[in-house]
Amino acid sequence: MTIKLVRALGTSAIISVVAATSAWATECIAPANAGGGWDFTCRQIGKLLYDLDLVDSPVQVTNMAGAGGGLAFAHVVAERNNDEDLIVAASSATTTRLAQNAFGGATADQVRFVGAIGADPGVIVVAADSPFQTLGDMVEAIKADPGSVAFAGGSAAGGFDHMKPLQVLKAGGFTDIRKIKYIAVDGGADAITQTIGGFTQAMTGDMSEIVGFLKSGEVRALAVLTEERVPGFEQIPTAREQGFDVVAVNWRGLYVPKGISDEKFEEWGQKLQAVADSAEWKETMVANGLAPFTKVGGDFQGWIDGVIADTVELSKEIGVIQ
Amino acid sequence: MIKSDRILGLVTILVALAYIASAFQIQASFLTDPVGSKTFPILIGAVAALCGLVIFARPDPDPEWPEMSGWLRLALATAVMIGYAYGLKPFGFVLTTALAGAALSWMIQPRIVAAIVTGVGLSAILYAIFKFLLGLGLKPWPAALTG
Amino acid sequence: MDLLSNLALGFSVALSPYTLMLAVIGCFAGTIVGALPGLGPSNGVAIMIPLAFTLGLDATASLVLLTSVYYGAMYGGRISSILLNIPGDEPALMTTLDGYPMAKQGRAGDALVISGVASFVGAFFATIGLMLLAPVLARVAYLFGPAEYFALYLLAFATLGGMASKNQAKAALASCLGLGIAMIGLDTTTGMPRFTFGNMHLMDGIDFLVAIVGLFAVAEVFFFIESHGKSSAIGVKLDKITIPLRDLKNSTVAMIRSTVIGFVAGVLPGAGASLGSFLAYMSEKSLGRGGVPMGTGNPRGVAAPEAGNNAAAGGALVPMLTLGVPGSGTTAVLLALLMTLNITPGPTLFTDRPDVVWGLIASLLIANVVLLIMNVPLVKVFVKVLMVPPWVLLPGVTMVSFVGIYSLTGSYFDLLLMVGFGVLGYVLRKLDVPTVPVILGILLGNSMEEALRRAMVLSDGDWTYLFSSGIAIGLWVAAVAGFVAPIFLRQFLKKPAIAPADKIVD
Repeated sequence: MTIKLVRALGTSAIISVVAATSAWATECIAPANAGGGWDFTCRQIGKLLYDLDLVDSPVQVTNMAGAGGGLAFAHVVAERNNDEDLIVAASSATTTRLAQNAFGGATADQVRFVGAIGADPGVIVVAADSPFQTLGDMVEAIKADPGSVAFAGGSAAGGFDHMKPLQVLKAGGFTDIRKIKYIAVDGGADAITQTIGGFTQAMTGDMSEIVGFLKSGEVRALAVLTEERVPGFEQIPTAREQGFDVVAVNWRGLYVPKGISDEKFEEWGQKLQAVADSAEWKETMVANGLAPFTKVGGDFQGWIDGVIADTVELSKEIGVIQ
Repeated sequence: MIKSDRILGLVTILVALAYIASAFQIQASFLTDPVGSKTFPILIGAVAALCGLVIFARPDPDPEWPEMSGWLRLALATAVMIGYAYGLKPFGFVLTTALAGAALSWMIQPRIVAAIVTGVGLSAILYAIFKFLLGLGLKPWPAALTG
Repeated sequence: MDLLSNLALGFSVALSPYTLMLAVIGCFAGTIVGALPGLGPSNGVAIMIPLAFTLGLDATASLVLLTSVYYGAMYGGRISSILLNIPGDEPALMTTLDGYPMAKQGRAGDALVISGVASFVGAFFATIGLMLLAPVLARVAYLFGPAEYFALYLLAFATLGGMASKNQAKAALASCLGLGIAMIGLDTTTGMPRFTFGNMHLMDGIDFLVAIVGLFAVAEVFFFIESHGKSSAIGVKLDKITIPLRDLKNSTVAMIRSTVIGFVAGVLPGAGASLGSFLAYMSEKSLGRGGVPMGTGNPRGVAAPEAGNNAAAGGALVPMLTLGVPGSGTTAVLLALLMTLNITPGPTLFTDRPDVVWGLIASLLIANVVLLIMNVPLVKVFVKVLMVPPWVLLPGVTMVSFVGIYSLTGSYFDLLLMVGFGVLGYVLRKLDVPTVPVILGILLGNSMEEALRRAMVLSDGDWTYLFSSGIAIGLWVAAVAGFVAPIFLRQFLKKPAIAPADKIVD
């Protein structure tokens, strides 16, 4: 018992940033603080990799917050380019920032994207006592008085959460985006709190962030930004069926350093696929409101490039970047 | 002899003005809010400058500053720490810690043997604690030796 | 009756020889981590998560282990504050103010016992509060919008004037320094860099841990070298260690008041343990009576911040469990653990997973009792630190500080900054500029600015929005009173430092 404990303590390095290479454990970098989406990805995938015996020792999660993921990206490119035991959590926020050149000139081809194994559908939510019953109600209200509705979201101005309402409004024919009020708070749960408290009129975020509040009946989701209604949440209409052709899902996945061998890259792909196929992961997805979305392997990098190109175009159209 | 607090006040005012000037250079994002990126820093700079003025106008009695030898020791201690900061990564934990530990120990109690024993002992014990108990991935030896 | 049966459920899952052993291990590890400068509760909890997985612990056992570490670190932070004038972690900052003077007077043992008991009182009653009121208190978070948070932060800074021994301008300057440093880095609202001078290392701002370790630990080493240890507690002849019943009795009111303040601060997601212990200390300074002036070794001055920060640690669990909003770095790590175990905190957690919630509450109570039993006898061991010769102890403290900071990002840049803060801390202390407000400024600066800017976005730049709710107005009134009162009192009492009315015959 004691020996196991001491050994476990030894392997429990959170702070292995210090080590250039650690031969005995896989490390997953969550490019943000604990508690967020990337952290969730790392911890969940890390736990399943170990539980499914795909790695020998528990995956150590390193939280490397900074510059919205830019610090971790730069760290991987500059210092860990050949590290075969390193995985990094990624999501739509990663591609959005790459597209908006928010990583100081870094580009998507400086790392290798392994795959995505789930997607968090975008949602637009109001408090239960809100006068808005449909997405149309809200868009009309904003058209009549742009200052009357303020959105709260977990990403910085111009980020993924901010773009969701902007896309909806654009689809609804409102283009003066500077008039839309948006406050960036510390994560989705905080955004909901501000909305229930009545300080903001709507919250923009991901499905996983609102599951508990939907159940307690304190909020009402006006729309989910997917192509089809989400399994388990069939009562929430899509934006598309309300006449706003907007799809925004936050995929969750991994990237690895560019310099690792092709065999190792393939191996990570297989491991990620195994996690995606496991019953435990399916359970986790349902519990957290994630929609099935598995894209692993060769064409994923191409898909990423496509997403980035689309985001660049969209950001320019909306005016988030020049 | 000019009072220390007058110097503090002057330095504060200068730094605060430089800070405000630098705040004016902050690039404005086109997605801006009513307050903007500059207002708060400028406000802080202004309050700091005001504090500087008050301190300049009403200085406290001087503290007891160290003698010349005291300043030298402090400068030396700072130099050791800066060297340690730069050396930790390229030369590994064990050597640099032993050296820096011995140097600091010697500065507090100038007995050479005791200082060396302290440096070496600290290096070994702390390495064991950090590596095996807390699991920090410290590199023990110079990168050049281990490749 | 519901409550008792729930609690019984909690103890039935949390109380077994195995979990008790985990609690003891967790409390011990947490205390050590908390006492080491640079390593705080969030590191401690994060280190333990992989351990929980390796041992294959279930949800309840993991929670017992991690909350023990959490509370252990909250207890442990005070040790280095009192003995070495170096806060083990940021909530223990305020404990240096009276704890270290007590140590210099040879009363380190008393200070450790009093703060240990205060920690227990704060944490224990906060846990009771969590148990009884969590679902109700969750609603408090809905009452705090940007305007209210801004007023709350302002209140903290307004009372800082009372910090300085004589010159209020110096306290104000210190907070400006902290706020100014906080502005460095990416502006979160627009994503534009500020005061980074193109340096990548500054993009993410300056970590308050770098500042804390520099201003306290490194500066302390400089001070010792300069003064040959004349003004240090190291090597001071220690009084016999007894239970200071009289002091405990005198600080009872302080503990209770601070527990309430700390708990409320903890419940607000934007406030946290540091603000809790700060406000507890400042209110004790203005309201409390008895003993030598605060800041010169008054037992109430160690009781108040320790009760405050431990109560805040308990309070911070309220928004974490009921809203999924982590109020602090540590609760964020706990939140991550819960989500990994497929437990989603939120408004329905109390009804969906009573076993988890009540198991957690039971394990908090267990951890507290274990910590109290462990901490009071261990005081005898802790004070031995002061008997280590300074030429071993101080280099040791320096090395620990370096490694702690190095482990943050693995960059020499943070180490250089830390040494810079050490030099700054030395100069500031020489010039009688308090360093606590600097840390407070760095800790709260960004939140304060963001609150102001969010408020202005919501109101389209209308400043009256800042006074638009009863809570906001109340906080503004308190802030103005807190700012004016020391000035007025000073005029009134004429003699600034020692107010005779404050002294009781001893």
